[in-house]
Amino acid sequence: MTTPTETTGPAAGAEPEANSAAAVAKKIEGRSPGRIAWDRLKRDKVALAGGAVVILLILAAIFAPVLTALFGHPVDQPHPDQINPDLGLPKGSFGGINSDFLLGVDPTFGRDVFSRILYGARISLLVAFLAATVSVLIGVVMGIMAGYFGGWVDSVISRVMDVLLAFPQLLFSIALVSVMPNSLLGLNDTGVRVLVLVVVIGFFGWPYIGRIVRGQALSLREREFVDAARSLGAGKAHILFRELLPNLVAPILVYATLIIPTNILNEAALSFLGAGVRPPTPSWGQMLSDAVAIYQSDPTYMVVPGLAIFITVLAFNLFGDGLRDALDPKGN
Amino acid sequence: MKRNRTLAAAALAATLALTVSACGGHKGGTTGDSAGAKGAAGFNAAVDKVVNASDKKGGTLNLWSSTDVDSLDPGRAYYASVWNFERFYARTLLAFDGKPGKDGLKLVPDLASAQPEISADGKTYTFKLKSGLKYEDGSVITSKDIKYGIERVFAQDVISGGPTYLINELDQGQGYKGPYTDTDPNKLGLKSVATPDDSTIVFTLAKPNSDFPYLLAMGSASPVPQKLDTGAKYGDKPVSSGPYKFKSVDPGKGYELVRNENWDPASDPFRKALPDSVKLTITTNADDMDSRLLAGTADLDWGQTGLSQAAQAKVLQDNALKDNTDDAYNGFIRYVSIVPKVAPFDNIHCRNAVLYAADTTALQTARGGSVAGSLFGSMLPPNILGSDDYDPYGLTKGKPNLDKAKDELKQCGKPDGFKTTVAVRGNKAKEVNSAVALQTALKAINIDVTVDQYDGKLISSVIGAPDVVHSKNYGLIVMGWGADYPTGSGYLQPLVDGRFITSNGNNNFSEINDPAINGLFDQAAAEKDPAKAADLYKQVNHKVVDGAYYLPIVADKALNYRNPRLTNVYITDAFGEVDFQALGVSDGK
Amino acid sequence: MLVYVFRRLVNVVFMLLVVAAVTFGIFFMVPKLTGSDPALLYVGKIADKAAVEGIRHKMGLDKSIIEQFWLFLKGIFVGRDFNAGVDVTHCSAPCLGYSFKTEREVWPLLLDRVGVDFSLAVGASILWVVLGTGTGVVSALRRGTLLDRITMTGALAGVSLPMYFTGLVALAVFANNLGWFPNNYTDFADDPLLWFEGLVLPWITLAFLFAATYARLSRATLLDVLGEDYIRTARAKGLAEPVVIGKHAMRSTLTPILTIFGMDLGGLLGGAVLTEKTFNLRGLGYEAVTSIASSDLPVIMGVTLFAAFFIIMANLLVDMLYAVVDPRVRLG
Repeated sequence: MTTPTETTGPAAGAEPEANSAAAVAKKIEGRSPGRIAWDRLKRDKVALAGGAVVILLILAAIFAPVLTALFGHPVDQPHPDQINPDLGLPKGSFGGINSDFLLGVDPTFGRDVFSRILYGARISLLVAFLAATVSVLIGVVMGIMAGYFGGWVDSVISRVMDVLLAFPQLLFSIALVSVMPNSLLGLNDTGVRVLVLVVVIGFFGWPYIGRIVRGQALSLREREFVDAARSLGAGKAHILFRELLPNLVAPILVYATLIIPTNILNEAALSFLGAGVRPPTPSWGQMLSDAVAIYQSDPTYMVVPGLAIFITVLAFNLFGDGLRDALDPKGN
Repeated sequence: MKRNRTLAAAALAATLALTVSACGGHKGGTTGDSAGAKGAAGFNAAVDKVVNASDKKGGTLNLWSSTDVDSLDPGRAYYASVWNFERFYARTLLAFDGKPGKDGLKLVPDLASAQPEISADGKTYTFKLKSGLKYEDGSVITSKDIKYGIERVFAQDVISGGPTYLINELDQGQGYKGPYTDTDPNKLGLKSVATPDDSTIVFTLAKPNSDFPYLLAMGSASPVPQKLDTGAKYGDKPVSSGPYKFKSVDPGKGYELVRNENWDPASDPFRKALPDSVKLTITTNADDMDSRLLAGTADLDWGQTGLSQAAQAKVLQDNALKDNTDDAYNGFIRYVSIVPKVAPFDNIHCRNAVLYAADTTALQTARGGSVAGSLFGSMLPPNILGSDDYDPYGLTKGKPNLDKAKDELKQCGKPDGFKTTVAVRGNKAKEVNSAVALQTALKAINIDVTVDQYDGKLISSVIGAPDVVHSKNYGLIVMGWGADYPTGSGYLQPLVDGRFITSNGNNNFSEINDPAINGLFDQAAAEKDPAKAADLYKQVNHKVVDGAYYLPIVADKALNYRNPRLTNVYITDAFGEVDFQALGVSDGK
Repeated sequence: MLVYVFRRLVNVVFMLLVVAAVTFGIFFMVPKLTGSDPALLYVGKIADKAAVEGIRHKMGLDKSIIEQFWLFLKGIFVGRDFNAGVDVTHCSAPCLGYSFKTEREVWPLLLDRVGVDFSLAVGASILWVVLGTGTGVVSALRRGTLLDRITMTGALAGVSLPMYFTGLVALAVFANNLGWFPNNYTDFADDPLLWFEGLVLPWITLAFLFAATYARLSRATLLDVLGEDYIRTARAKGLAEPVVIGKHAMRSTLTPILTIFGMDLGGLLGGAVLTEKTFNLRGLGYEAVTSIASSDLPVIMGVTLFAAFFIIMANLLVDMLYAVVDPRVRLG
């Protein structure tokens, strides 16, 4: 954080903590970081709980069809008998929660909210993971190249990252989604929307990791082991991906874990603004957006997707924090 | 707190089951419950009579809206509420009478001194203007200003957005491009309209059209003084010919009208001009607007689109509040077009199958329940002459007839069902809900429907382009339509007359081109007696319904609240809204 | 120093140009690719071919995209003329375009809307910086205590909650149920008291979200800093603990805080889409979403550029401030 070009915001806003983790990662190199980290993580009960919830959520999303068949109703099936026809609101209190509909029914149609939350989790997690992959891939490649080669390569990549960070991302994403066609590359409507969400969220996310990796690569490239590899006549690709990359695994891992909850929030925000997948395909942000009009009469329908987002993001954050602390000897 | 809420909701649900269902069917004044509480006029009291008749002047009328005006320029506006609002500041040769219900459909001479003289062949309309008519600046309104106002609409590159019927009627092959590029020194080069003197205007049509007077009652035929025309920006300061003029125009925020001292009440056939000023406040917060309405600090929802869900629930459970509401037809029918050009709907039996399988109650619920519209069996809305209860498919029964639907499928040669696509505007939640409800209903007879949400801004180039409809296999199209002028042809012709099919901006999505139907429109256009014309429209309507081209969902209604302090409140069928110009405030504030 | 400032300013102009070019490219090209015609959006129910042509010409859509972009850029510096039919509308510099939807210049519209975002950002940022940094510092100094654990759990919850959900809950409870605050915004000029009351909930909601991030960041940074050699030296010299913390440690702690503060403030000034939607505020974000919904291209362009300008300027200011706060930063 000492050169002007870098001060334009390392991980600005998003996940600043990843920074200190990155800064610290170099200190544990060569000391079997995996083993040490795992030992530390095992002792962090809160992080483990977060991790367990994360795994449960992933399983719930994968097995959503099974779970809805067991405990719910088909995701798009309307239940007009659960709806007051004059108000379009669920009959009964708390959004129509009863033994048959565990989380109540949605307004207008009376679809099972339990099922819709589960299917919403699929979209949410899918987008978050894929977008994180996109960010990490681009960010690592760009970051290593910028850091290792320096010179004009660094200038160009750094400039691109600056410009991307200067974009009003949310505005731009909504606008971009709004001009996308309904079918593209053989994908259906939901497929196109997921693709666009992944690309938009992933693409705007890479500069954050790009900066971190660049900084690391910058300091690593002068290290003895890199010099050694160079003097042995190793190719550029070998040095970049066989020598440098393994030393960057820790910060990348921490960052990837911490970018996922951010992506979940981003996906929900875009859906909330009408730029996510479209009904009848359910998503959490979309449910909250629908709830805006009726939260005074049917608060349950607002609270359920809100809590779903909260629990998921919290679980990822707890786990991510734990992971970071585990890789950070000072953090405990 | 939470508990009270839910208890109240449960109680509400019980009450509603009793009260609302009582008024689901027909418009028809009070339904008898608790009229007269606190001197309130009663539920639906303003639907066909005047509530709080009064001549008391003074005060400020506070209109609120959660949607901004599209334009205040009478040549550029297309919102029904703006057309209604224009009656404050834009007079026309003929205008809708200031009367409740169906009486409001009658055209009375406004700027004209009498009804037009129509030549024997029905092609020439001659109007004489009243004398002493003035604009807000005191200058005289002449027949040339009316012609100029009409000519502006021809400049569609500048005066865009408004209705274009007059162009179709008056261009007659001239290719007139509006006064801004007119080579005529007086900018009055449109040949079909003559102004032999300042108080006479003569329209010559290519063929008779008994609906022509309705076109002259639109704001796009109101006078515009050429000197003060500011082109595309005219909406910033429209020059008033009516009882009020603009004091301030602040787009997105609000508009204020004050009295126009140069308006002569003696020259006006119906305008009341009671309040001293009229304020229209634009808000983005519909909930806030509704709470103001219920609190009495706002007078009326200018958009007349109905209370938001939360306020609606509150009003319906409180009889004292409910007595200040009207749930009137607004002239729209929500429907699904079935496209015969897309297989297998080329076979009428497959179309019939859709109509029989449709769960109309579910479709109604998807649009907001019985308060938001009544089940309806045909395609001519209740506010238009010629409308009736025709319902051969039993749509108003509210239940699908699956046996019949399956039988029709068999006759269509598709006993195992088929696949099709429904097109729906992605930005209209109620329409998306309707499409999803239809998808679910048709699943029962194995018709597999894909919902395709297109960008709602692109109506004219997606569902309005028959080529696109065919290539995308849109067998079903969810839409709604309200008439631009309240006659059978005003409503139906764009939807079902084959000669109205265009390659872009088409509204006849089903591409109905039946010579018998087209012929009936011609007959009606030549018919001078509105009652006989109405009978012809009824025949058109029945033919369209029998052809199974449309699945009507509901005849739209909106539950609107009126501040009890308002006087002269009534809904005019001309706009399906409260007649703004008649309103006054009883407390003079 | 002067050379540095000049270089940064050139950089700002360059970034704005790139943002403008990309936005322009996407929104004027994509309609072409998807076959939708912007001109069609401007005609009424019954579209007429000649009218569409006329509008295309009026909007300049019949010119090449390069020429259109050039005219747009020129407008910013020297103004430009738009034909309104009868007379020509002159849009004086800085002309960010002319909306054919509303027949209005974009620049005054943006100036009109930015007031809301300014009110929002200033109030909320004061709250979150004070609260966030305050709790973060206290937490770091009382590390491991119950207080630390409670505040950090709260902060973690804060970053895991979508703000529109917190906002809706706040509205439901404090505005609708308890009636403590109005649920609408009043201009400061109209009624300062109502302005204040209307903004309390948005301020608190936003501040809660950001304060959580700031608390976590300032705690982590301060802990890092306290472990540094120079702090140990300072303590060893026998300096009083308040001096060590207040004078030495806080300086370094402020650096990353300042970085994300610049980004966050800049981002908010350029339009807080989610907050505005949740609380029905009409700021730049609202304007952006409306213009996207109606494909009002000039307004989309205007808001995007305006927002990018704030983000970039905020970053520039932050970089300048570094020189003051952190003596380690050399401007070269």
